[in-house]
Amino acid sequence: MVRDATGKSEEEWNAPAATLGVLVRDLIARYGVNLQKWVMEKGEMNGLSIILVNGRDARHTGLLETPLKPDDTVVIFPPLAGG
Amino acid sequence: MNGWIGKYLRVNLTTRKITTEVLDPRLARDYIGARGLGTRFMFNEVDPKVDPLSVANKLIFAPGPFSGTYAPSAGRYDVVTKGPLNGTIAASNSGGSFGPELKYAGYDMVILEGKAAKPVYLWIHNDKVEIRDAGHLWGKIVPDATDALHAETDEEAKVACIGPAGERQVLFACIMNEMHRAAGRSGVGAVMGSKNLKALAVVGTGAVTVADKDAFKAAVMKARKMIQDHPVGGTGLRVYGTDVLANILNQIGAMPTKNYQDGYFPTTNNIGGESLTAKILERPKGCFSCIISCGRTSRVTNPKFAGRGEGPEYESAWAFGPDCGVDNLDAVTKANYYCNEYGMDTITMGSTIACAMELYEKGLIGLKETGGIPLDFGNAEAVVEMVRLTGIGEGFGKKLALGSYRLAESYGHPELSMTVKKQEMPAYDPRGVQGIGLNYATGNRGGCHVRGYTISAEVLGVPVKLDKDTTDGKAQLDITFQNLTAALDSSGACLFTTFGIGGDELTSMLSSLTGVTYTADEFMKCGDRIYNLERLWNLKAGLSSKDDTLPERLLKEPIKSGPSKGSISKLPQMLPEYYQLRGWDKNGVPTDKKLKELNLTEQG
Amino acid sequence: MGKILMIHPDKCTGCHNCELSCSMTHEGSFRNRAARVNVYTWERDGFSVPMMCQHCDNAPCVSVCTPGAMHRDAATGWVLWDQAKCIGCKMCVQACPFGNAVYDSLTGKILKCDYCNGNPECAVFCPNHALEWVEDTVSTRSRKKVYAAKFKEAFTEVGS
Repeated sequence: MVRDATGKSEEEWNAPAATLGVLVRDLIARYGVNLQKWVMEKGEMNGLSIILVNGRDARHTGLLETPLKPDDTVVIFPPLAGG
Repeated sequence: MNGWIGKYLRVNLTTRKITTEVLDPRLARDYIGARGLGTRFMFNEVDPKVDPLSVANKLIFAPGPFSGTYAPSAGRYDVVTKGPLNGTIAASNSGGSFGPELKYAGYDMVILEGKAAKPVYLWIHNDKVEIRDAGHLWGKIVPDATDALHAETDEEAKVACIGPAGERQVLFACIMNEMHRAAGRSGVGAVMGSKNLKALAVVGTGAVTVADKDAFKAAVMKARKMIQDHPVGGTGLRVYGTDVLANILNQIGAMPTKNYQDGYFPTTNNIGGESLTAKILERPKGCFSCIISCGRTSRVTNPKFAGRGEGPEYESAWAFGPDCGVDNLDAVTKANYYCNEYGMDTITMGSTIACAMELYEKGLIGLKETGGIPLDFGNAEAVVEMVRLTGIGEGFGKKLALGSYRLAESYGHPELSMTVKKQEMPAYDPRGVQGIGLNYATGNRGGCHVRGYTISAEVLGVPVKLDKDTTDGKAQLDITFQNLTAALDSSGACLFTTFGIGGDELTSMLSSLTGVTYTADEFMKCGDRIYNLERLWNLKAGLSSKDDTLPERLLKEPIKSGPSKGSISKLPQMLPEYYQLRGWDKNGVPTDKKLKELNLTEQG
Repeated sequence: MGKILMIHPDKCTGCHNCELSCSMTHEGSFRNRAARVNVYTWERDGFSVPMMCQHCDNAPCVSVCTPGAMHRDAATGWVLWDQAKCIGCKMCVQACPFGNAVYDSLTGKILKCDYCNGNPECAVFCPNHALEWVEDTVSTRSRKKVYAAKFKEAFTEVGS
């Protein structure tokens, strides 16, 4: 679903982003409401998607305040599950 | 009765005596059905020390009160017996339509005792029950046996059967129903084979009744909406299936790789749910009354691994994939199809091959043992061939049929078997996710994720997000999940309803259906009772707290690469608190006080 | 403008929710053999098809019914069964070429879809939109459009 919104399964993002919040804001500016609905609501993470920064769930690293470095890997997973 | 039928079938395969007995409403109320009810009867009637493949073991098929109604995604049943793989009480859960059909035929349970002199099958047509010769069916793979049974009983019969693996008593043989659904784990199929029982074929034309129809309908509509509105239950599982988990487990570094030698497999995406949907999915499939439809009707066209059927699920894709170092989706799917056809548990099969691969890698076995097949990690063709050989009982497949514990032990290295209580752990590395490790160690049938699926909270954030790497609060988390799951399994509901609803909605439906009032607390208490009963059985069978552990590797060897590099399982920090919160003594034995609180007695 | 119950077998997952809701609505219990809709699943192919009365024009079941129990309702155009007039001869069961009229030996009734007074429960309950209660023109148009899109894809790929 996130892939459908962006048309890509991965991309290299070259614009600077000091925190996860800046990155997400910039991604939404590029890809619009189809991406936004999986990630944000009223300025906060809506918990629908799982966002990992270098393999750590952003809910434990500071949410949108999570600091980012230039080589960091951010993965956004749509809602999912299994067994 | 409402919800329940109020009677069950007892079939003695030795004497051929068939009786119908009345279900004690008190047992129904306290143990609910399916897993709980089957376990209570096993406890009452079978000595926990019996040899599981002997005539003294019993085999129970039991749906729950929800099965056969329109409670959403709630048409399941359990097969309950003593497991030959693990020596524990084993309740193996399955979907499809078999459970509801047993209810429509007029039964809450079928208890099978003794052993038939020659292969037979059981034909249940409402109150007409026959034991019929199955000599001509013995040897048939599951789809062929199912078709043959349709031809000689009824086109619309629901069939639960074993394949050649169950007939040969492969220790992890499973029971398949409607060709593609599995009561998968612990070797329940081997027990069926040991009784010379090939199949049960059922036609039921009766009814399941409701105590308060309006209240039940309202509760059902509410529960349906909550599941459908939940992103996982409502969309995620339908679009991608359970295999969607593969990428996320890998991205957090908890993907057990190459027999748990590592926790990260770089090419996981090739065997993940997104790839499955893009390459081999034909359409989603749903079990009876299901609104989620996580099943995958699939087809592989690559001539090397061609086939069609259902799956793979995440566990199967992992077991034949990253655990064996393989990233070929077609091969993984073919291995899965073979397991469904021959009737074998995919988790134990894949993990056993992975164990053999590590024995091979370390030079403890060679081409002589494997019959000339190089069992290197990553050899996709070898994985598929090993499954086939195990299914037909030839070559190295005869040794793999023992499961990884007995296999590794036979070569002097049981520590290379990734098992708890001799049952293989599934697709979540406890070094990368602490709470699931505690669940593996304390689960009543050994290595198992569904006994207490803490992944929900620790990885997916359902119902709340907990940090996967901490140990605080994990003991209570495990207990809550384990108790709720025990009650939920016993009701006939699917575990995936918990992506959407909880105890309140389940009890709202259960109370209006049966006319017996359950509060959410009482429901949890039933679960606690069932869990403790299973524990008592296991203690009597000879297990103890020393079996509540994990392989040394997970306690001592850190994950080597990926996002959870450097982590180990902190089980020793969680286990004492777990025993304490459970109301067990420091040896993991339920105290008298606990048993009294649960109204749990030896006699039931 | 009339409504019809559209069947989309390609969306059916074989879950039987339609049978359950039909049975509860008409019988007050879950007795799927008494549902007026029945789902057939071909497990080897993983394909399921729900079947129910199609309320034909010139319905054979209406033609053969001497007491007029099976009749066409003037207002809605639906083929309905009047229990009071039925003599239980089961000629309708023999006449329906699709097998959508069934005799229920438990109750002596003819089981046949009656569109639930204009709000078919099966369509409400189907979680997959495999059964749709739709304006007849809209429904046929939507299926046409789906296949028109496949043509478009094929031509766009090859033609340009």
